[in-house]
Amino acid sequence: MEYILKNGIVYDPANNIAGEKKDVMFKDGKIVENVSSDAKVLDVADKIVMPAGIDPHAHVAGPKLVVGRLYRPEDSRKGVTSKTDVCRSESGFSIPSCPATGYRYSRMGYGTVTEAAMPPLEAKHTHEEIMAIPNLDITPLPLFGNNWFVLQWAKEGKIDEIAAFISSWLKITKGYGIKIVNPCGTEAWGWGGNVHGIDDPVPYFDVTGREVLRALAQANEILGLPHSIHVHPNDLGHPGNFPTTVNTLDCIKDIEKKSSVRDQTIHLTHAQFHSYAGTSWRDVESGAGEVADYINKNKHVTCDIGQVTLDETTTMTADGPMEFDLHQLNGLKWANKDIELETGSGIVPFIYSGKAPVSSFQWAVGLELFLKINDPWQVCLTTDHPNAGPFIRYPRIISWLMSAERRQEMMDNNEVRVWSYKRTSLGTLDREYDFNEIATITRAAPARIYGYQDRGELTPGFNADIAVYDLNPDTIDPSKEPAAIEKAFGNAMYTIKDGQILVKDGEIVKIVPSRTLWTNVQGFEEQEKAVMEEVMPTFTRYYTVKFENYKVHDHFAPNPLVTTVQAGK
Amino acid sequence: MKTIILTLKKKSQIALEFDELIPDKVFNWDKAVFENYQVPVGNRRFPLTDYFDIEVEGSAEGPEEVKMILDGDFGRVKYIGCKMSAGEIIVNGDADLHCGAEMEGGKITVNGNAESYAGREMRGGELEIKGNTREFCGCSYIGDWRGMSGGKIILHGNAGKQLGECLSGGEIYVKGDCDILAGIHMNKGFIQIDGDVTRWPGGQMKNGNILINGKLGMLLEGLVFDEIVINPEIDGKSFSGKYIKYTGDIAVNGKGGLYLNAEKNREYL
Repeated sequence: MEYILKNGIVYDPANNIAGEKKDVMFKDGKIVENVSSDAKVLDVADKIVMPAGIDPHAHVAGPKLVVGRLYRPEDSRKGVTSKTDVCRSESGFSIPSCPATGYRYSRMGYGTVTEAAMPPLEAKHTHEEIMAIPNLDITPLPLFGNNWFVLQWAKEGKIDEIAAFISSWLKITKGYGIKIVNPCGTEAWGWGGNVHGIDDPVPYFDVTGREVLRALAQANEILGLPHSIHVHPNDLGHPGNFPTTVNTLDCIKDIEKKSSVRDQTIHLTHAQFHSYAGTSWRDVESGAGEVADYINKNKHVTCDIGQVTLDETTTMTADGPMEFDLHQLNGLKWANKDIELETGSGIVPFIYSGKAPVSSFQWAVGLELFLKINDPWQVCLTTDHPNAGPFIRYPRIISWLMSAERRQEMMDNNEVRVWSYKRTSLGTLDREYDFNEIATITRAAPARIYGYQDRGELTPGFNADIAVYDLNPDTIDPSKEPAAIEKAFGNAMYTIKDGQILVKDGEIVKIVPSRTLWTNVQGFEEQEKAVMEEVMPTFTRYYTVKFENYKVHDHFAPNPLVTTVQAGK
Repeated sequence: MKTIILTLKKKSQIALEFDELIPDKVFNWDKAVFENYQVPVGNRRFPLTDYFDIEVEGSAEGPEEVKMILDGDFGRVKYIGCKMSAGEIIVNGDADLHCGAEMEGGKITVNGNAESYAGREMRGGELEIKGNTREFCGCSYIGDWRGMSGGKIILHGNAGKQLGECLSGGEIYVKGDCDILAGIHMNKGFIQIDGDVTRWPGGQMKNGNILINGKLGMLLEGLVFDEIVINPEIDGKSFSGKYIKYTGDIAVNGKGGLYLNAEKNREYL
């Protein structure tokens, strides 16, 4: 089937197209240069056309989500809809049901989402949930930052073993890249503690976050994975944590990049939670200036923000000790889980309210980072869904980024408290994103950061993943009309995935099964074999599952999209 | 003033749901609208006239001018008066789950028994139950930590388990007996129980007050003896008699008050 999207205003940052009136053509699921006269014409005259959205960091599938839904029925009752001819019924606000997750991303014009924390032991379950989410391609990142094998080899400086282990474990778990959460901190939580900063050793293994980060970054480059290490640094949410963040980014600066499909060697995730100065919540100040400054000066770093949306949400992370701190802080119910030998996790409901000084401060720090990081290719739009707010708020964040007036109005009207401008510099920032920059932080930059070679741009040969929004960039003034921006980005006029129209005028019209993106490293088979011989005695001794039941078999990823890389090339 | 009378003619085995039939929504409905209305039954809808004879008299400008009289056994009708903000509903029979849930104003009178979750998350208004009710009367939604926050529940019969769970405002009066864990997790508001209580009132309470005039089976260790008070005044209300006052629940650093009638509970003295 051939289609032509006619007369749209195209924003395609990867091809340096910023608001040009042109046609976009696709055939059999791919973007093409020409179509025949039989092509079906979709009239999108003067509407915004972009590649479909790519979310570089969210929590949408896996055991944390299930526990969250089980223990927050009061969240599930929000957002309930009846089934339609096309859709199943939806439920949930911060932790929507699997179908609702797919539908809501589709309605916003998104096509690809990263599941940013997959415990290898729970990988099977994560893939089962990915199967239950429609309309998206999902990129799971397995957790390695507190893995016993990694900690041991990092201590001994055995980088090649770590590389072989990663190579093998990406195959075993069908994962895409290396996620690191609070390196050494979650393992320390197994001993009832935490680590502070990157040079605080974890009990028993006696290895530091710095050593683990460097080892995993080196392993990542030995393998030449399409994504860099994806790091949630230590000390999340602690006032005075910005030096830890800068040290984390700096400690791997000298490691040489061995991949041509991306620019960075470290991706800092939910930077907002890691950019605080001060010593306590009484004297907390923004550290966004320092973190943004480091990112502006160092091209080996990319980040996403984790913008606070001022909603009641559910925090869930593999950073077990942080969740305990949060539970102590707000007194709400807490779930905690140890993932044997690998990681842990915690879940606590959280209310970010504009009436609370701390939430207002966090809201402002996120926006400050967006506005102070100069190169939009180094920053992505996320809410760390659902930690800082649900992903359905992306359109609202876009409206904030595009309107200094709206931000000022929120501060003036007391929609956020004085800490939003007394403890940060947000009140002094009048930068406004344009549509091209929005297209960069929601599409082109995440695609480049993940090394995707098939999406994120409207280049012939790429997947026909396209979003059309009912906005005319020539007539709308985003600075003055934030509500219109939010509405349009929340209800795509068309969401097209692999050439199939999934959303029309904000309504789901078609359901397609999800696909799983994972990385298959080749040329490392000998090393993998050797490392498995080393791993197996420990595995057999300490894991409560048999290795035969640990592996994610092919039927757990029925629609795989495999990125094959030649190790070190 | 508008009077709407629904008289039961057939009782459904599967529960009907009445959250769309509240004064706020039906004040401008005439008889024809009711007769065309399809009521949710399980996962489907059926004509309201299959189950009830409908009479509508008078007219109303707003919900406050509506009086709904539900005649017959409404023991398989859920969500009666759910989310209503004004007007009056009288049930001349039993009511099923969630009667008066999330109510904001107006009045509901149940002349029979009400099932569990009566007055769940009430924010205002008055719910009077002449018979008994069961578990989670005046409680929160499952999983939530924010319960009933306003209004008044008057229960002439007995209450079940976890009465006023997570109560954060409003008043609950029980003339009969009460089962375990009344006022669990409560942090504000007032519960008065005139009958006997099996055990453990005020578990994990942070604040608010519970007054028990009947006999208490077993007290929780987290509530510690404070003083003997005579004719106490609680939340601006005066009570006559001698009460043993406990404070707790110390397990959660709570500052709540539990007043126990001294005459009926001499073994606690």
